[in-house]
Amino acid sequence: MLNEIVFYVNDKKIVFNGNPLTRLIDVLREDLELTGVKEGCGEGECGACSVIKDGKLVTSCIIPVGAVNGSRIYTIEGIRDTEKGRCIIEAFAEGGAVQCGFCIPGMVMAAYALLSSNPHPSEMEIRKGISGNICRCTGYDLIVESIKLASEKGGELWA
Amino acid sequence: MPHTAIDDKVVRVDALVKARGEARYVSDMSFPDMQYAYMIRSSIPRGTIDSIRIPELPEGYWFISAKDIPEEGKNELWMIQKDWKCFAEGDVKYVGETIGLLVGPDRNMLSYLRDKIEIRYTEAEAAITIDEGLAVKGGPIVGEDNVMCSLFVEKGRPMEEVFREADSVFEETIETGFQEHVHLETNGAIITIEDGKYTFYASAQCPFYIRKAVAGLLGLQPEDIVVKQTTTGGAFGGKEHFPDVLCGPLLVAEHKIRKPIKLIFDREEDMLYSVKRHPAKVTYRTALDKDGNILGIDGVVVYNCGPYLSGSFVVLQRGVFHANGVYDIPNTHVKGIGIATNTFPSDAFRGFGAPQTLYAIETHMEHIAKKFGYDPAEYKSRYFIKQGGETITNGHIVEKVVLPEMMKQVVDASDYFRKSKEYAPGSGKGIGISFYNHGGAFTGNGEQAIIKAHARLVKTGEKVRIEVGSTEMGQGFQTSLRKIAAAALGISIDDVSYDNPDTSVVPDSGPTAASRSTMIVGRLIERCAEEMKERWEEGDFSVEKEYEHPEGHPWDQNTFRGDAYLGYGWGCCIVEVEVDKLTREVKVTGIWSSHDIGKAIDELIVHGQVNGGIVQSLGYASMEKMENRNGHFRQSSMSDYVIPTSMEFPKQEWFLVDNPYEWGPFGAKGMGELVFNGADAAYIDAVERALGTEIHRIPMPPEDLEEVLRNA
Amino acid sequence: MGMTYIPSTLGEALLLRAETGAHPLAGGSDLMVQSKRGIALAPEFPFPVMIITGLDELKGITLLDDGSVEIGALTTPAEIASSSVVPWHVREAASGMGAIALRNSATIGGNIGNASPKGDLPQPLILLDAEVVLISVHGERRMLLDDFILGSKKTALGDDEIIKSVVIPKHDFSYLFYRKIGMRRANAISKLSLSAAAVVKDDEIIDFRAASGAAGPKVIRSREAEAILKGHMREEIPALMDTFLEAWNNAISPHAMPLYRRNTTKRMLAYFLSAIHEGKEEGIIREDS
Repeated sequence: MLNEIVFYVNDKKIVFNGNPLTRLIDVLREDLELTGVKEGCGEGECGACSVIKDGKLVTSCIIPVGAVNGSRIYTIEGIRDTEKGRCIIEAFAEGGAVQCGFCIPGMVMAAYALLSSNPHPSEMEIRKGISGNICRCTGYDLIVESIKLASEKGGELWA
Repeated sequence: MPHTAIDDKVVRVDALVKARGEARYVSDMSFPDMQYAYMIRSSIPRGTIDSIRIPELPEGYWFISAKDIPEEGKNELWMIQKDWKCFAEGDVKYVGETIGLLVGPDRNMLSYLRDKIEIRYTEAEAAITIDEGLAVKGGPIVGEDNVMCSLFVEKGRPMEEVFREADSVFEETIETGFQEHVHLETNGAIITIEDGKYTFYASAQCPFYIRKAVAGLLGLQPEDIVVKQTTTGGAFGGKEHFPDVLCGPLLVAEHKIRKPIKLIFDREEDMLYSVKRHPAKVTYRTALDKDGNILGIDGVVVYNCGPYLSGSFVVLQRGVFHANGVYDIPNTHVKGIGIATNTFPSDAFRGFGAPQTLYAIETHMEHIAKKFGYDPAEYKSRYFIKQGGETITNGHIVEKVVLPEMMKQVVDASDYFRKSKEYAPGSGKGIGISFYNHGGAFTGNGEQAIIKAHARLVKTGEKVRIEVGSTEMGQGFQTSLRKIAAAALGISIDDVSYDNPDTSVVPDSGPTAASRSTMIVGRLIERCAEEMKERWEEGDFSVEKEYEHPEGHPWDQNTFRGDAYLGYGWGCCIVEVEVDKLTREVKVTGIWSSHDIGKAIDELIVHGQVNGGIVQSLGYASMEKMENRNGHFRQSSMSDYVIPTSMEFPKQEWFLVDNPYEWGPFGAKGMGELVFNGADAAYIDAVERALGTEIHRIPMPPEDLEEVLRNA
Repeated sequence: MGMTYIPSTLGEALLLRAETGAHPLAGGSDLMVQSKRGIALAPEFPFPVMIITGLDELKGITLLDDGSVEIGALTTPAEIASSSVVPWHVREAASGMGAIALRNSATIGGNIGNASPKGDLPQPLILLDAEVVLISVHGERRMLLDDFILGSKKTALGDDEIIKSVVIPKHDFSYLFYRKIGMRRANAISKLSLSAAAVVKDDEIIDFRAASGAAGPKVIRSREAEAILKGHMREEIPALMDTFLEAWNNAISPHAMPLYRRNTTKRMLAYFLSAIHEGKEEGIIREDS
């Protein structure tokens, strides 16, 4: 039986002793002040709180912290200064993907997960890859283009 | 540093900070000793409050209500009228009306306390739908007949005369539903006291509106309140007047508590208890000759306003002024009625009343065309209004109208006429077309008479700071405005700054609404820059300008006659669909649009606005269903009120025409709302053709198409 | 409000379940949402809960000797969708479930245990006569998933049991059909779903089966309706069509959107049957092809 939950956020070891049902998003935003993780819906529908858990995209608002024992979690703060993270973020800026910006950190995480498993996705694969991330501003076309741009510019980075 | 030209490609100034997750939205902010607030709301649509039982509150917890408004204050939020109360007192008129604010340091405790509050009511019969409002169900909510606001406009000859000459009369009623904004960032605000002044940090379109709306609660003047806009995660009209409803109670609470207080809606609250787009019922009775030529249109436009006015009369006016679409109909008479009901008050939403009537007139025109065997595109194009043409309000179109050129762009790109012929009605394939416009800025002489916008440029060394009250909410204004200033000054965009407005620093530039920011505030900054450039060598100084109304635009706000708008944006959209024969699911296979926005200040930003506006409009037409049962919205989450994902619609093909506008900066006009105004009608036209049927309301998800086909 | 436990082993979990009645919580996609309380607040449950996400004993997909496939309760839809041994209907349903992030955290056990009529996985599993393996400190038992799910949000799970796995028997269908109609094209709850399958040999319909999701309090299968077709010849389909469709229509009981759900179900079944009647090439029947 676990009495404390140990996991890694952006490579930093976290030991959590509180209520295991605490939502992962609240640990990230409230305790660790990683406010790049956004709460858009609180029910795993919009993707604004997306993080990468053990290499896979998940929504942190529906995961209890008790379920991440032993996991490695990366948020936007953990990838934004990596080569891959910068590649996506700069492509988003260049490609006009950003409007109000509230969905964007989650969208960057989705793009990161997609390109990490599929370095050169087709337009349809990109659309599928971000279909869990809702954006109300852009109509998605320029986000899709920007991810394509990141795929092209990143080249070997994603291979 | 090279100077920035208006046509240079620039990187959006806020893109990197947002994509890196470093932008601070209001929910990301905290202050020492910050308290949290939960709103306590009515759970019935209509009735009187008999009692409010508050559990015993632990030390440091507060329940704030109307009783806490000091003697010198009044329980009212000053939007356009002062009818919307800050806290319900005695009676309640809609589900979700603010009754109190529960404030304290711990959200868990607040949540328990909230569940223990007991409010008893005597419930009255509520009027929810337009028809119930018109029928004065349960007795009047407003006046004697529930008519909250009304107007009529007429052009040409009297209707009786026109209808006497008609060979046939075609009448139909077209309805639109509620639409929820679903800005990804929910509503939220923080109040604190800074330098002895009540200071708000708010996700808002109009910081100056908040000041004005809430000051009277404490008997203060607007200048006594400071509003600092925080990075705003989408608004679409949903953060125009509505932040007043959060900030009012916060101010009353702050008056007592004097610690920072944070109020953030969760998604369920934002869905259930926020303003929506007005549902509409538009009836056209059209006099036709034997060949299907239009002799005149008699229209009635009814909008469901809820029980308080907020922006409804202005929304209704815009609806009426757009009720003839882009057409020069020789004789028109249109009456508009804003009806009071017991739904959550309806308010601003991108398009501001125009989308409802534009959808209706486009559908109506298309139905007439089909009845007489004409192609809708060809038929509609016969009536395009031209420069100098008389508008529905007896004014004139001032600018050159290039709709034929725009139509050619999309018709050619989509191969419209071939497909229009080839896709037989009911074949499962369809293509549809719509035309639309949007009057820029405030109605009539509102910019001059009401808003009187100011803007300022401040020069320090070689750097220039923009000081305006206009807000960035995702539409790209911080980039556009900096670009306008830089290009007019002949300096680099990097040497121009523009922070989120703080009402204690910047002049009031009017609300960030009505597609007026680029056209009006942008022009003001251009004028400031022109003067600053002349005087550049003078050292550090600032230039402030006030709005000047162009000559020769008569308007009478009492009779609604004259030039309703200073200029229009114009649009044309084609949508192609395939309807699944088994499931009635509609697959959009192509989207083409052309827009006349005068001149694009930044093409990439415009591209994003076009894409986003069209997708929002297609969502409105196809899937965004918000139902109200007995005053309660039935959709409360992003899983039951669905908005489009990246998989819904294909990549769009889009065009712009260059048609510089005389009074806009570098020739630019408004565009943020225009791009929402027409894809819905093109989509429904295409679906109608694919199914070989007529549709009279939106939204139209597959289950509603099933009903339409059964009743056909 | 109950206690929350995090067992480290399946044995611990079973003991906890027996002693405290703690409800298993796996991916969180149902329970965390149903009991959400808002921003910065942990969900609360009126019963004790055990978070079993870490129990490796309940993960993975195994091809058994008899050709059937066993899927551990904590296997995610993403893993199911990308497995080559999982039957097609189930892979289709798994790949269309929610959004990517949800498919990475939800579990098959949770989707079954939650017993929502709109759940994506029970529908094809019931079509395929899948069995659920239940485990407790007293041992294991197996039952048909169709019998395990009793109604909307109701199952036959014992107070001391948890779902261990799902076993899908081997089938060799000649024709297969699956459609989910969501509220939109991706990331959507099911509005209606249908799967169907048939075995046709020498023009005789040896087996015919269908399952309707979101068309009643639980997934609908009607053995009576299926029997109308079984044992008949391909060319008899037109003559039997109306009787079959009527029987199926009587079996489903959609409470919302009844017209749409009934008509669409009818059209899809008719389409599938017509394809068999016409002697289309064996395999997956899609509308476009």
